Amino acid sequence: MSEHRFVGKSVVRIDGKEKISGAALFTDDIDFGASLLHAEIISSTEAHALIKNIDISEASKAKDVVQIFTGKDFPFKFGLYMKDRHILAQEKVRFVGEQVVAVVARSPQAAKKAAKLVKIDYEPLPAVTDQLAALKDDSKLLHPDLADYPHVPWFFPKAGSNIAHWRKIRKGEPDKGFAEADYILEDTYEVPRYAHCALETHVAVAKYDYSGRLTVWSSSQSPHTQRNLFAEALSSLGLTHKDVRVIAPHVGGGFGGKAGVTMEIIPAALATKLQGYTVKLRWSREQEFMNTYQRLGLVAKIKMGAKKDGTITAIDHKLYWDAGAYVEYGANVVNATGLSAIGPYRISNISIDSICIYTNLPPGGPYRGFGYSEFLFGLESHINRLSQKLNIDPVEFRRINAIKEGDETAYGAEMNPNGLHQAIEEVAREIEWDKKIESSDPKKAIGKGFAIFWKAPAMPPNASSSAFLKFNEDASINLLISGMDIGQGYQTVMAQIAAEVLSVPPSKIRVETPDTDRNPYEWQTVASHVTWSCGNAVKRAALDAREQIFSLIERVFHFPQDSLYLEDEAVKCLTKKDFSLPLKDFVVNGIMTEDGTFKGGPINARGVFMPEFSSTQGDPETSQGGHPNVHYTVGAGALILEIDKETGKMRVLKAAEAIDAGKALNPDLVRGQITGGLLQGLATVLYEDMRFDDKGRMLNPTFTDYKIPTSMDVPDEVIPIIIEVPQPDGPYGARGVGEHTMLPAAPMIANALEDALGIRIKTMPITAEKVALTLLQKSEEK
Amino acid sequence: MSITHEFNYFRPDNLTEALKLLAQYREKGEILAGGTDHVVNMKDDLISPEAVIDIKRVKELKTIEVQGNRLFIGAKTTFTDILNFQAAKESFLLLWEAARTVASVGIRNRATLIGNICSAVPCMDSAPVLLCYDATVHTLSKAGERDIPIREWFLAPRKTALKPEELVRGVSFILPEEKHTGCYVKLGRYGGEDLAQAGLAILMLQKENGFAYRFAFTSVGPVPSRAAKIEELLAGKELNDELIRQAKKLVEEEISPITDIRSSREYRMHICKVMLERGLLVCRDRLQGKSVESLRILGG
Amino acid sequence: MREITFILNGETRSVNVEPNEILLDLLRDKLGAKSPKCGCDRGDCGACAVLLNGRSVRSCLIYAIEVEGMEIITLEGISRNKLSELQESFIAFNSFQCGYCAPGVIITTTELLQQNPHPDLEEIKEALSGNLCRCTGYKPIFDAILAVTEKEEK
Repeated sequence: MSEHRFVGKSVVRIDGKEKISGAALFTDDIDFGASLLHAEIISSTEAHALIKNIDISEASKAKDVVQIFTGKDFPFKFGLYMKDRHILAQEKVRFVGEQVVAVVARSPQAAKKAAKLVKIDYEPLPAVTDQLAALKDDSKLLHPDLADYPHVPWFFPKAGSNIAHWRKIRKGEPDKGFAEADYILEDTYEVPRYAHCALETHVAVAKYDYSGRLTVWSSSQSPHTQRNLFAEALSSLGLTHKDVRVIAPHVGGGFGGKAGVTMEIIPAALATKLQGYTVKLRWSREQEFMNTYQRLGLVAKIKMGAKKDGTITAIDHKLYWDAGAYVEYGANVVNATGLSAIGPYRISNISIDSICIYTNLPPGGPYRGFGYSEFLFGLESHINRLSQKLNIDPVEFRRINAIKEGDETAYGAEMNPNGLHQAIEEVAREIEWDKKIESSDPKKAIGKGFAIFWKAPAMPPNASSSAFLKFNEDASINLLISGMDIGQGYQTVMAQIAAEVLSVPPSKIRVETPDTDRNPYEWQTVASHVTWSCGNAVKRAALDAREQIFSLIERVFHFPQDSLYLEDEAVKCLTKKDFSLPLKDFVVNGIMTEDGTFKGGPINARGVFMPEFSSTQGDPETSQGGHPNVHYTVGAGALILEIDKETGKMRVLKAAEAIDAGKALNPDLVRGQITGGLLQGLATVLYEDMRFDDKGRMLNPTFTDYKIPTSMDVPDEVIPIIIEVPQPDGPYGARGVGEHTMLPAAPMIANALEDALGIRIKTMPITAEKVALTLLQKSEEK
Repeated sequence: MSITHEFNYFRPDNLTEALKLLAQYREKGEILAGGTDHVVNMKDDLISPEAVIDIKRVKELKTIEVQGNRLFIGAKTTFTDILNFQAAKESFLLLWEAARTVASVGIRNRATLIGNICSAVPCMDSAPVLLCYDATVHTLSKAGERDIPIREWFLAPRKTALKPEELVRGVSFILPEEKHTGCYVKLGRYGGEDLAQAGLAILMLQKENGFAYRFAFTSVGPVPSRAAKIEELLAGKELNDELIRQAKKLVEEEISPITDIRSSREYRMHICKVMLERGLLVCRDRLQGKSVESLRILGG
Repeated sequence: MREITFILNGETRSVNVEPNEILLDLLRDKLGAKSPKCGCDRGDCGACAVLLNGRSVRSCLIYAIEVEGMEIITLEGISRNKLSELQESFIAFNSFQCGYCAPGVIITTTELLQQNPHPDLEEIKEALSGNLCRCTGYKPIFDAILAVTEKEEK
């Protein structure tokens, strides 16, 4: 019985039929009947301004308008890790696109028409759209009241500045480390903002009924966190958690953008003023670009020293984050990267400054990778260059310095078991690293780029998961959990875990999208942690069910519990070979005994998982101590890049990526994350190019001009490699992989480009245009 | 997204009625064919007509057909119609190649070539092709017909010689008698089909006294245009490295690209030279009977 | 307001529309066809794709009134009675993740296979180039289609 039956198998997704038949309902697909109203939001056209006057008199008289709301109707602050945001702008606006007025009408057309009649007068203030400029002493303060904002105890805002948080790592003796180095390399890398571009835009529908119950349907990664934030923000109306219900239907992609709370709070608040009605707000694609979380921008200054033998002696990494106008979530990106910006390396002398800076641009927030893609671009580029200066092969340099189990992380905790070295070897072998390839076409050059990566879930130390499990008469199971399947296959994997314990096949296990009234608490589906965390909760629930089953069998049949096992949906006994009691005979109805009485009853089980070893009580000045990250997932990647030397156009001929999943609970779905994540990563470096004008307005908020890859942009070959070094506290050894697969893309391209053509590009994106013009400039200099 | 603007919708089933509506509404009317530009413009509030005149069921208007020695592309011709037209790939390779690069199949099934040249956006794919073929635009109004050479059709970005009471019934050009081939090279930002940041149509004809060339650029000037100087330089000559080098230098005098969010002046200028060289070599190979795929000749 | 009649998924439907009503909204809000989705509202993403007289089109760029007398098929029409072989293949290959692009992809692929029953990989890529997918990296979609077409060829 050592071979698993369901776990570790590429089981077909249990939500596949629903999505492929068209049965799957997304939030905008639900019909709400005649009491449905539609909200249209008027957004700020200024990056930083006082709102002098809002004139809604003409708009209020427009046909089918029900009511128009402004900031004074909802003077509440909200936010996940810090409370610095408003439902509708208060006396000032801080980015182009910020929500100012909500027009509610009986049809979307009427709302849109009336919105055109609203007049807003702004008094512009100096706007700052560059994070380094925002640090200057004479820069305008975006949040003069920063000192009063409530925040989690492990954030350190600097009152009287635009610095919302500053995470510092000081470990060992960096000065000494640099003095010991035979070579020091210092340089700056720039990564701009990016958009998630989930195909489904943000949408939420809210109803505040006559009994005082607020129900919100939203396309969300975090129904319970949303419930919490709504209850907090609207508490002055007398609402507590029991009065708030969040229902999360299918989600058309999240990538972090649908975590926390952004626009969903608007219809929730509007509903409280429109009792009895249901109010829908759906973002257009333009609003999706301009007024949801964006991936933070980064200017990173890296100084790294190494000895002739290739050992890294010290690192000084300064990360200046463009975090946008509100940083209630984005500040945690700054925090998480601050703790990990040494990369997956063993370094004794560390200085890291990760600084969260307010700018008059859209709010930065969670995006797949949570800051790690951004800093790994610079770091993995830097590592390559350092290795070259020392005349050491870049892969060999990584072998020398790659972090091992038991080494210390940047904050002094022990590195978990991991297959980083194995990943490096397998990728190097797959890509034939030592073999140089030349193009047969004189117009083309070919290069290879390598990168390694790591990431830990960035979460509060008490982020938890829970699961309810109940049997039905046919021995099918309903698994009630509140994680979200945002595409990664979470529902299927949770079913596989329950299946493995209970011997009921995944196809007989129903996992539905959650309702906070019915499904027990899950912190959020973010951080690539639900496979681990909720997987543990589900396994515990399944074990609870199994224990109830065995205990009942023991009571009735007197077999010792340790002689019992489950197989093919029946209870069997090691010591009595002919005993086989089908689950469906008793899991609801109990077992009839000799005297005609019944024992047992419905098997309902529960499981909870919360890490009890994680803490944020490190030293604020050094971050030493505490255990802020539960564990790291590691991996390596390489690709072969062909570049047209005249046009700069690039083609990925082959990419190999290895990730240590601990245990791939569903190998097909892990491979799906590698294929999908790698393409999303390649898109950020090759195609996606967000542009702002000097007044902070996004210039390309459409798919026409913000290019995400099509079917014609895929690499010629992608080789996914699954490594399995078990995570000791993970379900069957599993840990998360969802975000990580994006991480190596950008530095692989930059490194391959240098390998092929000797040019080093230190800013993203690396478009064909940038490459061609760099090559032209280089040839002109000769 | 809702359209807030209200308008009257007409769907005439014959030309007389269509022209009567156009004469009545003039600037306040918008012709609707495929709608792939029109509806976007309505949603963006760029147009707000009193009347939308849907011409898709006007029985006298045609799709694509050969009329004697001319190819006639009628107002109803979608880009898919061009791709599926049996003669297109063999006899009008340049036209076929350009059609292939437009958007994607879901757009091509509706978007019409005539709609494309009436929109007159600077990045049209159809325009440089029609310029190379010296096509003629055929308009109709209650007052009568006009035949306008394509060179006089594009006046400025989004502005053509079309009068408010007119519609375009089609565009036509003479099929060259001599052996000829063509190539359409388009710069996009990725492998998927993109709006042209620069585009070049080349027609190469084998005359008795040597080769004749026609070049037309798109997206690198306010209107698409023929490159007369390059045509003159190469006329009658066989291609060689020096000649191509000179031709590439002349590109600087033929186009006036700008810098916008899609691309920079410098890159567009540089790419146009590369497109010229590579496009010419493809045409030369094709005239020699070689089968050359040109979709990714810029790499990537 | 005008009453128009057309065929939706094999059934005759009559409905009142305003000239400025968009086909996608009509299908979703008044006729119960929820499978075509709004992804961008400009025709760039393909999530709104439906078959109009057999051709895949962007329902977000068509006025409802234009389809009078025509025939529309959405994913609901394809799934009725029995899932198609193509759909079963997509399920078996775990081709979709979040599923939002699936209706548009299936519509486009259905048209492709009707026109060209045995497309090669390049032809599949080209046909799908107007259907954006952010999750999968496209490969499992290609694999599922090739499995159906190559099987039929044998």
